[in-house]
Amino acid sequence: MAYVAARGGEEAIQQAEALYRRLLGPLDAGLVRRLEQALPYLLDRLMGEGSLYAPELAALALAQTGGDLYEAVLLLRAYRTTLPRLGYAEPLEPEALLTVRRISAAFKDIPGGQVLGPTLDYSHRLLHFEPQEAPPARTGAEAQASLHLPFVADWHRQNGLLAPRPPDPTPGPEIPDLTREPLLFPAPRAQRLQALSRADTGGVLALGYANMRGYGAIHPTVNEVRLAYAEVRLRHPVTGAVFSAGRVRYSQAEVLTKFRPGPGGKPALELGFAATLGWNEVKLIAAAMLDAAMDQGEPHPAHTEEFVLSHTEPVEAGGFCIHYKLPHYVTFLSNLLAHQGQPEEVEDA
Amino acid sequence: MEAALEPPRLEHQQPVLRAMGLQKSYGRVTALAQVSLALYPGEVLGVVGESGSGKSTLLRLLNLQEPPDGGDYRLEVPGYAGQNLFALDRYQARQVRVRHIGIVYQNPHQGLRMQHTASGNVAERLILAGERRFGWLRRAAREALQASEFPLERLDEAPLRLSGGMQQRVQLAKALALQPTLLLLDEPTTGLDVSVQALVLDTLKRLQRERGISMLIVSHDLGVIRTLADRVLVMRAGRVVEQGLTDQVLEDPQHPYTQQLVHAKL
Amino acid sequence: MPRLGYSYAFLDPGAKRELRRSLLKAVALPGYQVAYASREMPIARGWGTGGLQVTLALVGPEDVVKVMDQGDDASVNAANLRRFIARMAGVKTSTDTAQATLIQSRHRIPEEILGPEQILVLQVPYPEPLARLEPSFAKARELHADAEYGLVWLSLYEDLVRYRTATHGADYPVLVNGRYLMAPSPIPRWDNPKLHRAQHLTLFSAGREKRLYAVPPFTEVRPVEFEDVPFEVEDQRGWADWQTGVRHKFMTELPLPDGGSRHELSDRDYARKRAAHLPTQPTYFDEEGGFYQPGYLAPRTPPERLERLLQGEP
Repeated sequence: MAYVAARGGEEAIQQAEALYRRLLGPLDAGLVRRLEQALPYLLDRLMGEGSLYAPELAALALAQTGGDLYEAVLLLRAYRTTLPRLGYAEPLEPEALLTVRRISAAFKDIPGGQVLGPTLDYSHRLLHFEPQEAPPARTGAEAQASLHLPFVADWHRQNGLLAPRPPDPTPGPEIPDLTREPLLFPAPRAQRLQALSRADTGGVLALGYANMRGYGAIHPTVNEVRLAYAEVRLRHPVTGAVFSAGRVRYSQAEVLTKFRPGPGGKPALELGFAATLGWNEVKLIAAAMLDAAMDQGEPHPAHTEEFVLSHTEPVEAGGFCIHYKLPHYVTFLSNLLAHQGQPEEVEDA
Repeated sequence: MEAALEPPRLEHQQPVLRAMGLQKSYGRVTALAQVSLALYPGEVLGVVGESGSGKSTLLRLLNLQEPPDGGDYRLEVPGYAGQNLFALDRYQARQVRVRHIGIVYQNPHQGLRMQHTASGNVAERLILAGERRFGWLRRAAREALQASEFPLERLDEAPLRLSGGMQQRVQLAKALALQPTLLLLDEPTTGLDVSVQALVLDTLKRLQRERGISMLIVSHDLGVIRTLADRVLVMRAGRVVEQGLTDQVLEDPQHPYTQQLVHAKL
Repeated sequence: MPRLGYSYAFLDPGAKRELRRSLLKAVALPGYQVAYASREMPIARGWGTGGLQVTLALVGPEDVVKVMDQGDDASVNAANLRRFIARMAGVKTSTDTAQATLIQSRHRIPEEILGPEQILVLQVPYPEPLARLEPSFAKARELHADAEYGLVWLSLYEDLVRYRTATHGADYPVLVNGRYLMAPSPIPRWDNPKLHRAQHLTLFSAGREKRLYAVPPFTEVRPVEFEDVPFEVEDQRGWADWQTGVRHKFMTELPLPDGGSRHELSDRDYARKRAAHLPTQPTYFDEEGGFYQPGYLAPRTPPERLERLLQGEP
């Protein structure tokens, strides 16, 4: 019996990939290391969307794809999904965070102080045409900011200013795992936050920005933006002891909505929250606003959980967009023939 | 005082609709407080009151569009007689709504698919009830539209391109296509030119007379109520403040609020 | 040999177990969309990741795998998927429909009748047949739960009134086992009848939308149609394959430089066998265009009859 291979197609795709790799040039460990050192914020974005904290693999993905972010995220995700889930980390408490930047727009001063940390926020965005040395470390600060800073939202909570969250529409396990089960709507909040955490930065920004510009009923205040190194603490399966498995760059944001009538008629604030692996402030502020907006139930798409979460998933959105390059001639012809035999004059429907 | 205003008993007939103690609040606003009513076969019951009196909420509840906070609602329809319709699940409620209740809204956008054909809007009702023969759908849509005095040459035009009066006729045809037990009319002629309004009212009257439909009409326009309703129920702030035969209530209002309404409008 | 460093057939055991359970559920509830995790695959989303996951969850060393796209095994993405499956599962591949035990396809069902030992896996871009009419999946689920499909017939009504024909081409919705409305994936209407009471199992999988569903063997599959205006397949009665002269199989249209066109069998492996005068299996549509299950496809509605129906004369 003859097994006929369809050679034409296979030969063509091998050559096309080879051409791509030739134009990209050689890939070696040195290149990967240099990318890892030079582009931490890009790696953060990649690791957040890839939901895999592995700077060296993220750098490899970047090198292998020439910096095509959608391809790089897909590489990380497709690798990540084959890894076994060994355990769940302990919840992050403030004492497990080594915070390097924590600011609040809601108050002039906050317990622990406003910590600017590393930021370009107040810099002049000018190209440096001359080579730059890294500035020397500053020494002799009068008071060292504490590394362990309380969450600003805890202060609101203590003062009874936060509205209780509406109950989850679909109760499930305490920590559902978005990477192991599908996202169904309405979604439990834990899944929503997981989806936002690995959502596409650009997509979240676009929808979040739509909310900020007026396609939304929320008028948010940034309660807190925080960049930190987080201790990933695990409970030993045998001894039960909690130990640190390492540190990851981690960021989170809280936003407050305007006052609404809460229970008993007392005005209360609703809290939007987002967190992700890596430092990515733009995405987090937009995502936290979307989190708050999704509770409002207003008819605008950017307030609709299903709309926001379905359309900001980078692997799905990017992959489906480029799938239109695939041949569609059977469907195209079928649709064409379905319209034949119609009367000459077709009314515009 | 409400006990003194019992509706006249048609002793040989059971009501086709009976609602007891309807209750509905939105946040701190009470839209309906202990509203009870009955509708007899072939009767037209008018509900009057200014905006905010709860009459539209009443209609949405009776159309099973939203659940009440409390109350009991029965319709004498096959399969569901003697059951509290508020206790039905989503599927059953839809069955009752599709087969036994027709509604005409003030705003045709609520009741019609504006981009579909007029005939399709009517046919939808039959499709939902399970009709799968195209020829029958066409025939039924034509007949229903004709009965509503809709010009048949415009049968397949989109409501978007039709005048307000025509849109109401399409809604009416759609509502009556399955010969419902109950027809709900929510300000059906409000917003139409006076001359068009009169024509639509004529159609309604004729259909009611010919088919003996039990109707509940909500309006703030006492003229409309006077033309159509046998009996009238006056609502204010979610409560029924007065009810009785239309002529009686409009000629000799007892409640100060009804007196105010009648004097303002007539 | 399977490649080291990954599980057999790429998917880890947890993913395979979940897929197989979901597939069993799908077979038990014909046409019902089962939600599943849908892991990321090493090819782009929307490029057949759903079909690929199902294929990889089912494939074993004894299988012979065929992959085609638009009916063509040589299509670049089909070649890529076939290469990946062979690399990860170490299976034989074939372009011959008759030899294959597991067929992954995009947008076509082969012309040769599939047997009870064969499984067809169709790649699905849009699993929700109601999506055109109801964009919210949450609301569409309610409509499925209530079997409330009136909207679909209303849309057909509107088509017949405005255009005198159903304008829905590929991915024409079907009712499975009299219960669930199902998107058959963007196969041409020509392929729809092949699902009805088929001997083989058909599995549908949408990777991006995370849904899979099934038409088990010998299951009733009916297109959305009116009793008096029956469903019609594409009208290619006047077309013949330019190389073999074969008629009454699904053809694609090849534009020619002079502005004209010629027609070619879409099922390329079937075309190869016909061109080489090799034996072929019986086909769903015979040489005269007759469907192998007599009576399933009703005669086309003549325009005069449709006009009478439009006038309300049943």
